Order: sequence, then C-alpha cells, then structure tokens
Amino acid sequence: MADLRLENIARDFYDGRQLRRVLFPINLTFKPGELTVLAGPSGSGKTTLLSIIGLVLRPSEGRMWLSGREVTGLADDVASKMRLATYGFVFQQPMLIDGLSVQDNILLALGIQGAHIPGVVRQRVAELLTSLGLADTARLPPQMISGGMKQRVSIARALIKDPAIILCDEPTSALDAENGQVVMGILKKIAVAEKRLVVVVSHDARVFPFADRLIKMENGTVVADTAAGKPQGLDVAS
Amino acid sequence: MRSTVAWRLLRHDRSATAGALLGVVAIVFLVGQQLSILFGLLQYMSVLVDHSGADVWITSASVRNVDAVNLIPGQYLERVMGLPEVAWAAPILFGNGLMRTADDSFEAVRLVGLHRPRLQGGPWALAQGRVQALLDLESAAVDRLDLKKFAHPALGSLTEINGKRVRLTAITEGARAFQGTLVFLPLDQVRDMAQTPPGRYSAILVGFQPRADQQTALARLRALLPECSVLTTAELSRRTQLYYLTNTGIGGSFGFSTTIAVLIGIVIITLTMYASVLQRTRDFAVMRALGGRRRDIAVIVLCQAVIVGGIGIFLGLFLLAALLNATRGSDIPSFLPAVVPPLLAGITLLVSLLGSLVALRKALQADPASVFH
Repeated sequence: MADLRLENIARDFYDGRQLRRVLFPINLTFKPGELTVLAGPSGSGKTTLLSIIGLVLRPSEGRMWLSGREVTGLADDVASKMRLATYGFVFQQPMLIDGLSVQDNILLALGIQGAHIPGVVRQRVAELLTSLGLADTARLPPQMISGGMKQRVSIARALIKDPAIILCDEPTSALDAENGQVVMGILKKIAVAEKRLVVVVSHDARVFPFADRLIKMENGTVVADTAAGKPQGLDVAS
Repeated sequence: MRSTVAWRLLRHDRSATAGALLGVVAIVFLVGQQLSILFGLLQYMSVLVDHSGADVWITSASVRNVDAVNLIPGQYLERVMGLPEVAWAAPILFGNGLMRTADDSFEAVRLVGLHRPRLQGGPWALAQGRVQALLDLESAAVDRLDLKKFAHPALGSLTEINGKRVRLTAITEGARAFQGTLVFLPLDQVRDMAQTPPGRYSAILVGFQPRADQQTALARLRALLPECSVLTTAELSRRTQLYYLTNTGIGGSFGFSTTIAVLIGIVIITLTMYASVLQRTRDFAVMRALGGRRRDIAVIVLCQAVIVGGIGIFLGLFLLAALLNATRGSDIPSFLPAVVPPLLAGITLLVSLLGSLVALRKALQADPASVFH
C-alpha cells in the first residue's frame, strides 16, 4: 500500500515564446483503497498532474512524497526504477507494442530493465488474462484483438507488477459504453478490493459513478474535491 | 527480455530489417570481394618468392622488388656454399621474351631460368606433365590459365621464344604473376634468350640446414656479402608487395573502393535503422513510461544492431564464400587469408553499431510523458 502527498505542486511550460503556467500550486493527498477520478475539460491540467504523479514529468514547483519518501526531484534512472516497482499505467490508447504478443506486452512491464522472468510469472499472466475475460489471447498479436480487449490487456500490463499505484489516463475514451463500464468496473475492484491507489483522469461523466473521490480541475487548479467536502460544481459532464 | 523484444521488433518490422540487413551484407560482400581480389593480386606479385622453397634470397644491393634486380656474380655461389649453415644454394635468372603463339602471333613473357638439376624456384604445382621435363634444355612450362594467351598450344608442341626453339613439356597450376606471363625454362636457355653474360644471375636462392639457427645464418650471410641484399623469403615477399601497392595505385584504388563500400553500408544501415526507430518512437516512450531507463532503450536498439549485424555478416560471408568457390581456379585473382573473415566480421559489427547510433539518439529522445495524451 502506498499514499501520495502533493504540496504546492505547479508546472510551467515554455510555449516557444514565453513561460506559461499550466498547473497552479496544488495540495492533494491520495490514499490506497479508493478510486479517485480527476475530471475537467481539455486543458484543465489533469493529464499534466497525472504525469507528475506518475514521475514522468517533474514539477516546476512544489514537493511530492510517496509513502513518506520525497520523490520530487528524482534522477531519471531512480524515477524509472520507482515507476517500474510501484506504478501501473493504463493509457488513453492501449499502447500495446506491435510485434510482441499479448503475453510479451504484459511481461514487458516486468522485464524492461532486464530482469529474468520466471515461469511462475507466465502462469500469473494467464490467470490475469482469464480474470479479465481474455483467456486464450496470450499468444495473439495485439492487432488480432478488439479495442476493448486491448484496453483490458493494458490493465493486465499494469497489474502484472502488483503495483501499489495505478494511474489511468482516459481509459474509457476509446471504448464503447459497454466496454467502458467493464474497464471501470475492473479498476474499481482493483482499488477497493485490493487496496490500491487508483487515479483515473477522465472527462467522461459515465465514469463518475465509479469514483470514491472526484476532483474537478479547471484552468490548472482544483476547483472541487469531494474528499475536501467541496462537492459543489461537480457536474463536469463532457 | 530486452533482447527478446529487440528480436521480435526486428521480425515484425520486416522491410526496415531487410534494408538494414542489405547494408550489412553489402559491406561484408563488397569489402570481402575487394579484399579477395587485392590479396589475390598480392599473391601474384610475390608468387615466385613465396613458392621458391628458399629460406633466403640473395640479390643485388638495395633491391625494391624481386622483378627489379641487377645481375650478381656467380662466384657468390661458392662463397655461400662455404657456410656450414647452408644446405644448398641455387641460382635463378630472370629475363623477358616474346613467345610465338599457336596462332602465329606473339605474347610478351617473363622468363624464369631454373638451374638444373635442382630446378629450385620452379613450378610447385603442375596441371599436366612432370617437373623433371624441365631438365631438357629445350623444355618450357606455362600456366594453365595462360594457355588462352598462347592460343591453346598442345602439350609437347614446339614454339619459339626470342627465336630459340622450345617445347611445351609441362603446364603449371597457380603460377601466375603480376608483372607478366611466366614461362619456366632451364637457366642456360634463358641466358641465351635474354643474352645475359655468362656466370651472372638474377638471384641466388639459399636453403639452410634443418637445425641451423636462422638468425645466425642470416647474419653470417649478410656479413659475407655486404654488397648484396640478403633477405629472407618473407622479407622479399613483403618488400615486393609493398612496392607494387605503393607505386602502382593498386593500394589507393582498393582502399578507396573499400571505403566507399563501407560508407554505403553505413548509410544504408543508418537510414533504415533510423526509419525503423522513428516508427517506434511511441513504443519506446511507452517502455520508458513503464519503467524503462534510457540504458534499457539503448540495450534494445544496440541488440537490434548486433542481431542485424550478426545475421548480415553470416549472409555476407556465405555469399562471399560462394563467390570465392565459384572463382577458384579461374583467371580472377581471389584469395582471402584466414584472418580476414573474422576481422571483416568484427569490423562490420562495429560498423553496424556505428550505423545504429543515429537511431539510438532518436530512441533515447523518446519522452515518457508523451504517452499521456
């Protein structure tokens, strides 16, 4: 289990002419066992915030702690190791790698730093795929399965490491309503039943019922947070 | 896992992999083929020296190559034979001539006069006839591959060189020289044909006693004949090859074409691997986001370069071996010393890695943050 604490996290981008602030100082704490949805319109800064939480983007200001350890300015290699050990990612597009089978795509999340993959892990891949309704797809190339199945494979890729934190960037936007519900159901179960910290970025109102906590962002700031007792203004339907 | 990923990506991106393979095969095959001709010509340059069976060649002073020797006095023979380390010494005489061909034309030839009965420095492999046939004063031997130049004379047929009658009594194998068509003859016959003064020779070949200390024997010979060049067979061979390499433009020409072949290979490898990585930028960003370090991406790209290099080297060497086999025994000079293929493989692997550097640079720029839309 892991918790995340953000203190005055802000981010600037240089747009070619001037430095532009896209994320204004934000203070947030994320706890394990709950599914948090970061909602807001395009350009509200939710994906930037997710990237900072995921250690793929450094904040311009502020500090961040992961289970009590400060992770604000980690060196690239250390951040990579931490991503490998602690994080699971589900992207907007499944981002499966052509040329690798479904199983290899999942194992890549474990073996990218060269670690030996024992046979028992392959067995776990099979179990994971079965639990996600993807039995018998292990050997298939990604182009042989549907979009919904691909997104579930990307969830399996995030879960194979048994990560404490799972970050999802618009995981349902490329899916039809039915598949979107299935994916959100899985993420909800992962968060609550397995006591993981799950953060989902979405502007799709259909995912809100799955949220234990809903944070609304606009123009780079948090404008509403159910955990802070600010439920007002959460009608963020796309 | 990283090498497996490298292999699977290569297998999936077939056209890019085929392009990179083509670059490697081009390097191995073209450079190997150029080198085989160069070494074949090098063999031609020093063929008489290399196959002389002598330990030492004594020639006129300051010799630059075996084909440019002044005549030396025959009295040296007795002085050389007086040394206890010397097992045998035999003179050899070179000359130039015009040989009448079977169709009544003439062909310029390089005459090699052999001292009877030893015939040292003479044919070392025969396609037809016997070497002892050269004991006959009128006999001559030419190479199988040169028969075409002489309009295919029959074994035993009569012809003339510089107006002197000779009989073709043996056909040699592999006795082709860079500086002219070789004809082996008895030494006295060459003296007549080339009108060299009696008692003078082009060189004296020396063989040491089996248990003699070569360095001591060489030093004593040099002290005995300070007015001559006393060179080991290897020294004279190297000196002759170096002379032709640096004075005929062959070295520069082969160096240039080899460099061009390597450059073309590097360009092909660089472009195809770069294109391949460009298509995979998103995948490398995903790998980085999943926890891959820059070095892990480097391992994958370099693994790809090694795999492409390895397969390309194998295919290139296979094609090269097929070419060398096909041209063996033909009039195309081709020879590859055993050390060349592994050296060529090593250099090609380095070139493959070099060619992948631009692609590697691009792959390392993959931004993990870019996978978040």
